[in-house]
Amino acid sequence: MVTKSRRQHDAVFRAISDPTRREILGILRGGHQTVGGIAANFRMSRPAISKHLRLLHAAGLVVTEKRGTSSVCSLDAKPLRVIDDWLHDYEMFWSESLKSLKKYVEEKQ
Amino acid sequence: MNPAATSEDTIVQEITIKAPAGCIFAALTNPEETLKWWAAEGKFRATHVKSDLRPGGRWSMRVVSDRTGDASCTSVHGEFRAIDPPRLLIFTWIRDEEHHPETLVRWDLEETDGVTTVRVTHSGLTSERLRTRHSGWPLILELLKTYLEKQS
Repeated sequence: MVTKSRRQHDAVFRAISDPTRREILGILRGGHQTVGGIAANFRMSRPAISKHLRLLHAAGLVVTEKRGTSSVCSLDAKPLRVIDDWLHDYEMFWSESLKSLKKYVEEKQ
Repeated sequence: MNPAATSEDTIVQEITIKAPAGCIFAALTNPEETLKWWAAEGKFRATHVKSDLRPGGRWSMRVVSDRTGDASCTSVHGEFRAIDPPRLLIFTWIRDEEHHPETLVRWDLEETDGVTTVRVTHSGLTSERLRTRHSGWPLILELLKTYLEKQS
């Protein structure tokens, strides 16, 4: 229930809360891509794509590397683990709460 | 305690309690009672519970960490969606943190001869705002699966 590192947690959730950014992650799942190559999949401007990439980068989901004149982006799925932890926390939370409810109600009987 | 069943965005937990459903429903809906049981020693405990028990009524709760050296807390609030004592209680569950989607908690109580099966279903944990028609949570889960399997 209690988050480990709220800032990191929020950055990941923010990163995947947008459909364009999720699509970018999908594209990068197929392998690394240049910023131009990613932008070619969308109708929006290149600066708009760069802005999305910056947020993905801030969340640690996208790694950018300079190669000559272009920037090559690749996926790093590791930070998504906070989402898994989040779900696991909830699982623990409810299972503990139910045990406690049982104890309380049965002792009252 | 039955094992948890977890689908993409839903957590289901079930337990059998030797008490009538009415007593359990009261423990769930009366803030004074909720404060007495909503805690797990050394893990977390509810400190403030408010509830306006009627459809559309608001509820809120504050949960603090009970771990040594951890002073963090989480506030949760929501709205009652269905109240059918002593069988059913549904409310929305929203954590007071940015970017967390609205989720739904459903309590089902089924009594047979004074013994009640209590099932809590927490759904929408990762969907709602996060999901779109073509990509979204399934993609994220797939990415995660790929990553975790690669590790092992």
